[in-house]
Amino acid sequence: MTPEFLAAVIDTLLPGDDVLPSGTRAGLDPVVYASSHHAIFDVIAARAGGLERFIQADESARAAALTTVERALPEAFRALLVTVLSDYYEATAVLAALGWRTDPPQPAGHAMSEWNDAAGERLERIRRRVRMWRAV
Amino acid sequence: MPARHEPVDVVVVGSGMGGAAFCARLSEQAKHLRIVCLERGGWIDTAAMPPWRRDWQRATIGAWASSPNLRLKAPTPSPSADYPIDDSGSPFKPLMWSGVGGSTINWAAHFPRLHPSDFRTRSLDGVGDDWPFAYADLEPYYDLNDDAMGVSGLAGDPAYPPKPPRAMPPLALGRLGMTAARGFDALGWHWWPVDAAINAVPHQGRAGCNYCGPCQQGCVNRAKASVDVTYWPRAIANGVELRPRCIVQQVVIEGGHATGVVYRDAEGREVTQPAAAVVVAGNGIGTARLLLASGLASPALGRNLMFHPAAYVRGMFKEELDGPVGPIGCALYSHEFYETDARRGFKRGVHLQVTRENIPLMQALRLEPAWGRDACQLLREEFRHSIAILVLAEDLPEAHNRVTLADRTEADGLPGVKIDYAVSDHSRRSLDFGLDRAEEVLRAAGAHRVVRLPLAPLTGWHLLSTARMGSDPATSVTDARGRCHAVPNLLVADGSLFPTVGAVNPGSTIGALALKIADDLAKDIA
Repeated sequence: MTPEFLAAVIDTLLPGDDVLPSGTRAGLDPVVYASSHHAIFDVIAARAGGLERFIQADESARAAALTTVERALPEAFRALLVTVLSDYYEATAVLAALGWRTDPPQPAGHAMSEWNDAAGERLERIRRRVRMWRAV
Repeated sequence: MPARHEPVDVVVVGSGMGGAAFCARLSEQAKHLRIVCLERGGWIDTAAMPPWRRDWQRATIGAWASSPNLRLKAPTPSPSADYPIDDSGSPFKPLMWSGVGGSTINWAAHFPRLHPSDFRTRSLDGVGDDWPFAYADLEPYYDLNDDAMGVSGLAGDPAYPPKPPRAMPPLALGRLGMTAARGFDALGWHWWPVDAAINAVPHQGRAGCNYCGPCQQGCVNRAKASVDVTYWPRAIANGVELRPRCIVQQVVIEGGHATGVVYRDAEGREVTQPAAAVVVAGNGIGTARLLLASGLASPALGRNLMFHPAAYVRGMFKEELDGPVGPIGCALYSHEFYETDARRGFKRGVHLQVTRENIPLMQALRLEPAWGRDACQLLREEFRHSIAILVLAEDLPEAHNRVTLADRTEADGLPGVKIDYAVSDHSRRSLDFGLDRAEEVLRAAGAHRVVRLPLAPLTGWHLLSTARMGSDPATSVTDARGRCHAVPNLLVADGSLFPTVGAVNPGSTIGALALKIADDLAKDIA
């Protein structure tokens, strides 16, 4: 299992686009997934006809190989995907690309406008309705 | 030979909404009683809650997942004292928390009441069963429960009988809420800001919400009411003894009389706690599991499990909304279609609930496809640009939906537990109706694309009706005062008691009902 092959798998899962970075560009280290998910990487390599062949394939061919493996081994594939996505969506580069802050939710929280009269005025239409609940 | 404690007057099993409200109320109404509560989990340390940490998102699928089955598989131990549930026979997966405070630790704190008609479904609509008492009988307890928990909201909703002024103004609706309201307004339909057991402003010594978002990972500043910070300080001050990390193995029943419980304490020792009365409040699965394991003779026990079948529609908007900000379950709701209208082809109604946006990781994990170039595009289209409307329907009591024991012993010493539940044709019709209406709202609000989820599996918070109240021992487990027909000094004080469930979140009703059960017991004892 070479780092290049692992990186090719990760970047096929997370290719990025004009806004989001790919998995490896976001800072994910593909090698860390090798030991805990080696079985699924082995299957991917086998289905693709070898490590080098997968690496050299274009994106659509790599995606087709992964789709085949996903259908054959959905649980193992999902386990890898969950691990990779968990790392990706914690990455500073990804959160920044989404326009979201990188700090955790606390202690700062988020600013939101408090309930105000304007919102209350929108309810006047509803306040004027006749009773909606059934008396019993 | 098990250790044996001195006898007490009342032993309560479970410290969640039902058990906490019951203990606080009984200890006020009958001050002379010695009350002990046994809780299988421990106290929750706010410093350990994920929202402080950079890896908080992954906690949602790990040690702080809403599902006990997911937590048990997490790479790090969960602070929740879980037991596995075989949910292979149910499309809805049970969600809960096992610790001091029960599922109020990680609930969304959406706090609606049932409607008066929910207590009379048989009389009004010929379906389900009537409750053994009316909304008016529970109303004072709803008010007491509101006071204890602290409710943000707005009085004057024509969908409900008049309620007292709410203690705090509504939580902020944000751009998401105001956008959804635009859709309801365009259609001329009802909407109203939710009643939330979350402080909009500082209240009762607890902070106001700072809209951090992940309520279901525990509330680090305690703005969200959980009973470990509302009812339990009161109960303990009144002299109730709360023993955490004590897993009750059996209610001891001898000759139609409960004599106490046997539990496994934090050190693994078996301990007997004799009591004049035993009260079980372990939710619709935990209560049924314990009572079945204890040999309670009741043909209805474990049956009629109800969840509130749920589905949702997600609308995508060009305009920028709030993102994963604010209490996830608490924006606004509509009861335009809550009451029965025979023209719809089903009885009873649906609750439409505008929820806040999920965190990026959760959004990414449920995309179809979840990886590849299309997934990137879908995520960017959705993140900070989507509104979900949750549709809750009223499922009706069906005996084949049930909790049973499995033929194995779990690590906690109790038999394994299995649930079986099927979505009925009636529920399917009501969900489809609600999905159609939710889609109309989102389109009226400006959504350029909508996505339906016809069933939302991870919404099984509402574990109800497996020890229901009634007058007939063949079809109910307890009487109107929560006393088991077969063992009158064995009581239930949680959502297991509901004969029917309406179509709204049950927390408010569980608390109110537990207060009433406590008052009834206090009167019985006096």
